[in-house]
Parts: sequence; C-alpha cells; structure tokens
Amino acid sequence: MIFKFANPNKFLRISKFLFPYFNVFFLISFVYGLYLSFFNSPPDYLQGETVRIMYIHVPCAWFSLMLYSSIAICGFFSLVFRHTLADIAIRAIAPLGACFTIATLITGSIWGKPTWGTWWVWDARLTSELVLLFLYVGIISLSNAFENKSKGDKYAAMLSLVGIINLPIIKWSVDWWNTLHQPASISKFSSPSIDTVMLIPLFVMTLSFLFLSLNIIIIRIKSEILQRKIDILNSSKIN
Amino acid sequence: MNTLTLIKREIKLSIRNFGLILSYSSFFLLSLLIFTFGVGPDLKQLNTVYIPIIWVIMLFAIILVSDNFLLSDFQDGSLKELQFLGYSEESIIISKTVVMYLVLITPHFFLIPIFSIFYNMNFNDLFQLSLDIFIGMPSLILISLIASLLTIQIKRNKVLQFIIIMPFYVPIIVFTTSNYDGILYSSFELNKILILIGFFLITLPITLLLGKLILNEINK
Repeated sequence: MIFKFANPNKFLRISKFLFPYFNVFFLISFVYGLYLSFFNSPPDYLQGETVRIMYIHVPCAWFSLMLYSSIAICGFFSLVFRHTLADIAIRAIAPLGACFTIATLITGSIWGKPTWGTWWVWDARLTSELVLLFLYVGIISLSNAFENKSKGDKYAAMLSLVGIINLPIIKWSVDWWNTLHQPASISKFSSPSIDTVMLIPLFVMTLSFLFLSLNIIIIRIKSEILQRKIDILNSSKIN
Repeated sequence: MNTLTLIKREIKLSIRNFGLILSYSSFFLLSLLIFTFGVGPDLKQLNTVYIPIIWVIMLFAIILVSDNFLLSDFQDGSLKELQFLGYSEESIIISKTVVMYLVLITPHFFLIPIFSIFYNMNFNDLFQLSLDIFIGMPSLILISLIASLLTIQIKRNKVLQFIIIMPFYVPIIVFTTSNYDGILYSSFELNKILILIGFFLITLPITLLLGKLILNEINK
C-alpha cells in the first residue's frame, strides 16, 4: 500500500490535489487557534498572561520530535526498501524540524524568563532539545556535503536512524531526572492535568501546525523532485 | 578470516606510524596546559574542573586521530582490498577499535597519574577517572570511527565530523563527568559503571551494523 504512494509522480499528483485543502485547513485552524489562545482562554493563576506562550511552544516541541521520528522512519524506508521518495522526504523534513526545534528553544527561553527567572537552565529537557537541534544540523549538513546526492541521502538516512536514540531521552527526561522543566501535562495513558479551556486552543494550534508542516513538506518535496528531474535532464544533455 | 590477523596488521601499522601516537599524547598534554592557563592556577578551582576538561580533550583528540586510522586505508584502497579478501566489515571496525584503544588510551593510564600531581588529585578520584576511561572509552572510539567513516569521502568541511559526533557523546560525557564524590565503590559509582557498560553494549551492535552499511556504501 505504502509503496504504491511512494512513487514520486504519484506523490506529485496526490499532493497537487491535497495542497489547497491543507492550505484552507491551516488558515482556518490557525486563525481560530489564535482567537482561542488570546481571547478565549484564561490566564494562569500563577504564571498570568505568559502562559499563552504555551500555545506556540508546546506544538513546536511536539513537532520537533514528531518530525525527527518521521525522518527516522523515512531513513528506515530509504535503507531497507531503497525508496527515492524517502530520501527526498528526509531532505525536505530536516530543515523544517530544525526550525521547530529553534522555535521551541526560543519560545521556551521567553517563557522561562518570567517563570523561572532565567532565559536558560542546563536542565535535562532543555539540553536534550538542544542536542536534537544539533542532530538536525548534522543531518542537513551531511546530506548536502557530497557532490553525489544519493550518497548524501544514504548517509543522512543512517545518521537519522541512529539519532532516534535521543527521542526517548527528550520525551522522558522530565520523568527520569528531577528537572526544573515541568513533567508532561498531556499523557496518552492518563487524563490530562490541564483544563479543557486551555486544552482546546492547544489542540487547535497543534492542528494548524500539522497542516502548516504538511504544506511546507509538500512544497519542499515537490521542488526537490523537480530539481532532480532538471539535474537528470542536464546530465543527459552533457552526455 | 579472523579478526586477530587484522588487529596484528593494525598494530604493525600503528608502530610504524609512531609519530601519530606521539602527536596525540602531545596534543592531550598541551591542551591540558592551555586549559589550566585559561582557568588559572588556583588549585581549588582546578580541582572542580579538571575531570570534565580531561574528558573533553580526550574526545577532541580521539575525533582528530580516528580519521588517520581510516583515511590512509581508504586512500590506498586497503579498505576495499580487505573486504575483497573476505574480512567482514565488522572485523575491520572491531580491529580498528581495539588498536585505537590499545595505542591511544593505554598511554593515558600513565599520563593521568603524572598529571594528577599537578591537579592535586586524590587517589580515589584518580582511580575512578581511570576506571571510567577504561570502561567509557570503547563506546566513544566506536562512535568516532563511525563519524570518520561517514565523512571520509568529504574533502572539504571536516568540521562536519565534529557536528555529527557531538550529540552522541552527550550521554556518555554526562555520566562520566558527574559526581566525583571521592567515595570509592559507592552505589553511585557502581551504578555509573553499569550505565557505561550498558552504553557500550548498546553502541557496539549499532555501530557495527552502521559501519557495515557505510563500508558497503563507500566501496560501491
């Protein structure tokens, strides 16, 4: 099933169909999410208005991890099934993941200053998120370091697979170590410790980030496919 | 074909290339001196930072040197030839790791006690540090070899090797440099050693598998 859709031409056709819908979904969820975050959710009793940074910070953090997982999955498909689209996806997703990680770190710092009284602490969660950024930088640099693109793709896939070790460390760092960063408020296995009035805007914003990510990934994959087609045409012209 | 033959070959090559070991040790000692000048002569202050400094310098030195262990073999075609002769990729990596450990890390067990005098290190700390180096270093060597393999075909931008490798060193560095309380055989120290052994047991199969994939990719 998955291999049927992994064909680049098929991907271009499907993405052409989906892209406008994703755009509309993104716009609606983003505007609605911002409205809920700013006007329909109460300030925190302890943190006051600064808690609203959460509506950007938390989705960014989730996506920084989620996009890395998707890169690792693509890495697996690239190495085991040798799918070109998986290679292209790694190139497309990595910079976006890095942007989300940077956004997480920046918004976290902005949130940390009034809450903890400092821009940065060498806390397990913060440090492991910073390490994640360097993993992204490594993948991006490695995939672009070779003249032969396919070689860079393969090596980036390998690196992404090994780097997945860092994900559980980030996810459970707040549970394993006694850190300043609060433990997860939303868990799969227990009811969330966050009120619904705050939970709904958070999920709407997460949804909008999802559509934004899908849009950017589609654009980047599309341009990479076209670039590769141009490269093939150019090389055949030279030969 | 057995790994022992490869280890013997690597040892012979290392002895012939003795200058590399000498420059590695000099780099280690000089960097220690530079750090000491940077921190200042206050022994109290130095006492709190010398262990992380030793680890960080060792890391840099290992990363810099690991390239030499692979580059010449790659450039003169020996890597390809060894595979052609039937040596498995795993045995190539294991032999290089063992020899790097023997040639580069063993001198530390002589150098660090000498330097411990300069830093006023007590015996317990010295013993803990040596034990951590003994157990923690194989993982670091394996990781640095993989980074060298990944970047061996890149002519420019050798800094990339550092960027790739650093994130994987973080957990090991965190555990090796944490809490030198001077209590020998405390439960913390024993747990730490178990964690370092655990790291090695995780690193070994992953790096061997990855090394095999990279070597096959290089020789394509």
